[in-house]
Amino acid sequence: MLAQQYASIKRDLDDKGIVFSFSGYLSEGILYSLGEALREKMALEAADGPTIRRVFSVFIEQMQNIIRYSAEKMSGTAGRAVELSAGMVTIGMERGKVFIVCGNSVRNSEVPRLKERLDHLKSLDRDGIKSYYREQLREEPDHGSRGATLGLIEIARRASDPIDYDFNRMDADRSFFCLKVSI
Amino acid sequence: MNVRTEQHAMDRLSIPATGRTPGVSFDFTGGHLRMTGESYPDDVAGFFGPVFEALRGFLDNPDGGPIRFDMELLYFNSSSAKALMNIFQMLETVAKGGREVTLTWCVEENDESMRELGEDFAEDLRHVVFQMREMPAAGGSP
Repeated sequence: MLAQQYASIKRDLDDKGIVFSFSGYLSEGILYSLGEALREKMALEAADGPTIRRVFSVFIEQMQNIIRYSAEKMSGTAGRAVELSAGMVTIGMERGKVFIVCGNSVRNSEVPRLKERLDHLKSLDRDGIKSYYREQLREEPDHGSRGATLGLIEIARRASDPIDYDFNRMDADRSFFCLKVSI
Repeated sequence: MNVRTEQHAMDRLSIPATGRTPGVSFDFTGGHLRMTGESYPDDVAGFFGPVFEALRGFLDNPDGGPIRFDMELLYFNSSSAKALMNIFQMLETVAKGGREVTLTWCVEENDESMRELGEDFAEDLRHVVFQMREMPAAGGSP
């Protein structure tokens, strides 16, 4: 029963082309370790440096968005400052392209602003994304944002297809937010 | 002879690279500044704070000689990009004041993303001399 249950989860992941997946509390330490594993795997598959760095860059910005903006967090000190944020990250291959999907809960009150930013990014072509990046590079960070705007633009810039996002309302307070990026 | 009285004035700043923070090698006496490796610190302000402070101390010296800045980072995240912008703006300010500053942006061959980022940063530099230099690819992971 046990093996059957987990084999079915595993098969489901395999069928979706998922190479690795993490769900739970994320931290900067986990980001670092998963990032290294991702790069090592791609290097073993003989991907070239720039491609690895493009995938890695999307991965880092996605992970840091979860760590900073997940609505489900624990923080405190355990010898040093620790910030744990619940979320999930999934990396896979689909039609010869790497994709990264990240998911985390967000407050419903933040949904409209996030949607607006993502829709704006989706509406831009390559040159538009490039000038938006240049503009934001020179801006002071938004109040309360720890630099999300530039991170999202960086993601859109490295993507080979338009970014895809979705929200699923969980309850009166929170929604589950998903962002899928193909590189 | 110059008698240095500034509190922050120092001859050099050397920070060895780690897996996620860049190597910083600022030779203030020779005017040669260099950053290498990768930059995606878990605490960007904590890492760059002392770098800004040392650089500010150096740039505040009004009779300094020419400055050469070699930017050899292979990768940096978006929060580091803001910090780099800050550094380049400091350099632009002293260059505008008449100091000779050359920024060399090093990219691995075929790394179009890094080349584009260099162009993004160069756009604001009017007085700093900006150069792009290609380096041979070192392989997948540094």
